[in-house]
Parts: sequence; structure tokens; C-alpha cells
Amino acid sequence: MTKKKHDLAFVLPAIAVVGIMTQVPFILTIIYSTLRWNLARPDLPVKFIGFDNYLYFFRVPHFPAIPEFYAIVWQTILITGATLVLCVVTGFMVSILLDNPVPGVNIARTLMLGPFFVMSTASGVIWKSTIFNTTFGWYGVLFKSLGLTPVDLLSYHPVLVIVFLFWWQWMPFFVLVILAGLQGIPVDLSDAMRIDGTNWLQSTFLVKLPLITNHMRVAVMLGLVFVVKEFGLILVTTAGGPGTRSYTLPYAVYMQIFNASNVGRAGALATITVIITLLAVNLLYRSLRRRRAAEA
Amino acid sequence: MNRVHPRPGWGRSARFRKTVRIAALSILIYAVAIIYVSPILYMFLSGFKTEYQAVNPGLIFTPTLETFRKVLSDSSMYQYLRNSLFQVVIGSTICLALGVPAAFVLVFGKFRRKDSSDKIHAWFITTILLPPVAVIIPLYTWYQAFSLNKTPLGLLIAYVGFHVPIVVWMLHSFFSDVPLEIIEASGIDGCTRFQQLVFIAMPLVRTGIISAGLLVAVFIWNEFFLGFNLTGNNTATLPVYMARFREQQGMFIAQLCASSTVAILPAIVVGWMTQKSLVKGLTQGAVKG
Repeated sequence: MTKKKHDLAFVLPAIAVVGIMTQVPFILTIIYSTLRWNLARPDLPVKFIGFDNYLYFFRVPHFPAIPEFYAIVWQTILITGATLVLCVVTGFMVSILLDNPVPGVNIARTLMLGPFFVMSTASGVIWKSTIFNTTFGWYGVLFKSLGLTPVDLLSYHPVLVIVFLFWWQWMPFFVLVILAGLQGIPVDLSDAMRIDGTNWLQSTFLVKLPLITNHMRVAVMLGLVFVVKEFGLILVTTAGGPGTRSYTLPYAVYMQIFNASNVGRAGALATITVIITLLAVNLLYRSLRRRRAAEA
Repeated sequence: MNRVHPRPGWGRSARFRKTVRIAALSILIYAVAIIYVSPILYMFLSGFKTEYQAVNPGLIFTPTLETFRKVLSDSSMYQYLRNSLFQVVIGSTICLALGVPAAFVLVFGKFRRKDSSDKIHAWFITTILLPPVAVIIPLYTWYQAFSLNKTPLGLLIAYVGFHVPIVVWMLHSFFSDVPLEIIEASGIDGCTRFQQLVFIAMPLVRTGIISAGLLVAVFIWNEFFLGFNLTGNNTATLPVYMARFREQQGMFIAQLCASSTVAILPAIVVGWMTQKSLVKGLTQGAVKG
């Protein structure tokens, strides 16, 4: 009995800190989302208004015109989805390449992993100033030397640029996980494949790919969690612009609280963000478990 | 010299073809890796340029330490750097101090209800899934109200709260590899839980603990959202400093590159050291269940 109490004492401090810093504020966020509370309007008393903050975003007042909120949700899904698909496809290809035991392949693997550990604000400003800049960047200089006019990619194709930068930052993580999966494939199997005379395409897509689906799902799940919350990269590159064309939900929450000072609406947006994230993660996790159950 | 060839007359050309194949593959692999990280390499090089040289992109120039000297003697960067180091060192130490015992008893501890440890473990993992925007509004209002943004301790508590689950998650899979018999035997020999943890389990998962600490250090070093919103002028960290360069249109490229090098290099080096354990910690729990 004393021992059992003792064991709980080992984990209680961790639960306390994590609970106070993540659970309590999250519950408060949900409560705030039901309040009319605007920091910029101290004259209006804080008042319970039910789901009005949510309705403010969901409502379609002038029917054919779709409100901004839906565009932002769509951009979030588009940016996250496109990034993850790109990461899976190219991550798999690069992993297959790096799975070859050529001399010095470990150096290449280590190099490849680099971008994953780069802080997002630094990678954003580096790409923005040394590459995408139309006057001083490589992109601008190369285009001009080819006789073309470099358009400002950040204002003309903001979503494309953000997907590209997310991809650049997160693909190494996918390689890390997928490569671990590929290296876990037993040597007997590749020997057997060689004896059976499978060609490269067959062994890659019909044998190896099915064996590492679980690693891929794990990479996608973690990638989803991390990419959805990415904020710094958007702030330093496009700042959500032009207009709101490269807003994502986290960025919109940030603007609601720090620009519009609207605590209630920001709370509603944050809650919607969490619900969408958890739904997507749950979907992926279920498919992971179903697969595991099918294998067992 | 006169070895018997299993396939006479064919061996040499097969070996030759294999050599060519490996050479071609190596070149392809190195090319992909170098092109992929070229922005980082170029940033690293440009830090050694003067501002004047950096205006035109180019790879051939006389390197100088001038820009690095200027950046590092800049008192504002120095302050951000110091704040970041404080968060990283103290933050990851506290994360380990809280996370290691927690992960240990979640694997070996006995709770009144049998499924408690699984439930607590699952709870820690769900908090990793929670995006920071879900908590930023109340935290921001608290930090304003109690002036927590004016002390480094404010951001520190937030970082501990957000990174302890990562330590628990990673170390759970490491502790699970420790044979239960060793822990039980030491219990019979009269070790208390604390002694079991410190003298028996911790030495066995030393690599895991070090990697978890280093990984959390990298995450804290790179964290921007909380660092941006929960700090004031005196307490902001390096990612916030880097974000200040967003408004400059290619005016201080050398300075940008030198500061980025200072901001990026430690994380990349430390990150590389953790890569093996990172894979184990991240995939084991999820892939094998």
C-alpha cells in the first residue's frame, strides 16, 4: 500500500506541470470560445453567448460568396495534405536511394537530416532572402541571367512556397523513419528476392513498400501533428499574405487574438483547430490499429 | 593467384558492372544530399562574406570573419543567445528530472488500478498532439496579468509543460527494454523504488536519457510560437531574433547568414547525435504497439 502511493509520487509532478500548462489552458480556451470577450472593447462586458462565436465563422450570410473562414480551413487542409503527400512520396524515394550501402552513405544520410533540426524562422528568412528574393536571391539572379523576369513567388504563389518550405523541412524526418523501416527488413528476405529473380520495381513496390506501411503511417501521423501547428515559417515568409491567401488555422488564431484582440472568437478558432487535428490523427491512428489487428 | 572462378570469363565484367553501379549510385546519393542541404551550406558560406560581397549570390570570394565578429559582438543578439541557452539548459534538465521518474514508474510501477499506468501514458501522448494554439490564449492572458513574460521563468514553465510528454514518450520505449526480472530482483534485495531507478534502471537506459535530453534541448532551442508570444523584450529567445530579419529585403544578407549559422549549427550538431535514439523512441511505441 505504501509502495503504491510511493509510485504515484514519481509521476505526479510531471502530471501536475503538464496538466497546468496544457490541459487547464485548453479547457479555458473552450470556455472562452463561448464568451463575447473583446480585449479591445472594454466597454462591452464579458458575456456568455453560447455558440455565437462558432456561428460567426460557420455562417454563410451572402450565399454564393463563401466566407473567409472556409477558405482558411481549405488552405490549412491543402497545405498540410500537400506537404504530407510530397513528404511521403519523396521521402520513400530518397529512403530507397539511401538504403543502398555505398561507401560514405552515412555521411549523406546525416547531411540529409540537417533541415529537420533547423529552426523554422531561420530557414524561412534564409530561403526568403538568399533564394526567393527577386533582386539579391539565387532565384532572381538565375532567372535574370536566363533573360526571364522573376516574379515574386511569395506574393504570387504563397501557398506553393509554403508547401515547398514545409516539405523541405519535414521530408528529412520522413526519411529518418522510413529508412529505419527499410533497414529493419530482414536480409534473408532480400536474398530470397534475389534468388527468386524479382526485379527492382517488384522488390521495391510489391515487397518493401507493403512491409514499411506502418512506418509511413507513423511518419504521417507525427508529421501531421507537427505541420499543422507550424506558425513561424508562415509568419516570416508570407505573413499569411497576400491578404489571407496563406493563412492557416493556427495563424488565424494568432491574428484573432493579437490583432483583433477577440478572445472569444480566437477561442472558437483554436477549438476548431484542435477538433480538426484530432479528427485527422484519430483517422490515421485507427487505420494503423486496424492494420496491426489484420496482421496479428 | 590462380583462383577458380565459379563463372569463368564472366566474373570480371560482372564485378566491373557492379563497381560502375556503385559509383553511379554514390554520385547520385551525394548529389541529392548536397543539393538538398545547399541552402544551409550557402548560408554557412555567406556568413564569411562581407555585406558588400553578399549582395550578389556567388560561391567564389575571399572569406572573412568580419561579419561573424560583428554579429557576435552585437549585444542584442548576445542577449537572445543567453536567453535561449538558459531555456535549453535549465528547461531540458527539468524535463528530464520530471520525465525520467514518470516514464520509469509508468513501465515498472504498481498502481492501485491496473490500467492506470496505461491510461496515464496515453494521456501524456495525447498532450503531444495538442497544438499550442489551443493553450496560447489563456497562457497569454495569464502571462500579461502576472508579468510572467518579463521573467525567463515564465517561458521555462511553459516549455517544461510542453516537453515533459516527449521525454516520457521516448523513455517509455527505452525502459520497456529493461528486463522486469532485474527490477524485481533488486526489489527483493531491498532496493526502494528510488534506488531501483537511480542505481539500476537509469544506468541501463543512459543512452536513451541522454538522447531524450538532447532532443528536448533541440526542440526548445528551435521553438518559436510560445517563445514569440510569451516573452517580452528582455526574455525573447533566438528564433524570435531570427524572425526580426523577415522585414529586411536582402539588405543584411551576410549578417543574416552569420546569425543563422550561430542559431542553426548547435541544433544540427546536437540533433545529429540524437538521430538513432530519435528513430527508436518515435517509432517503437507506435509501430510495434
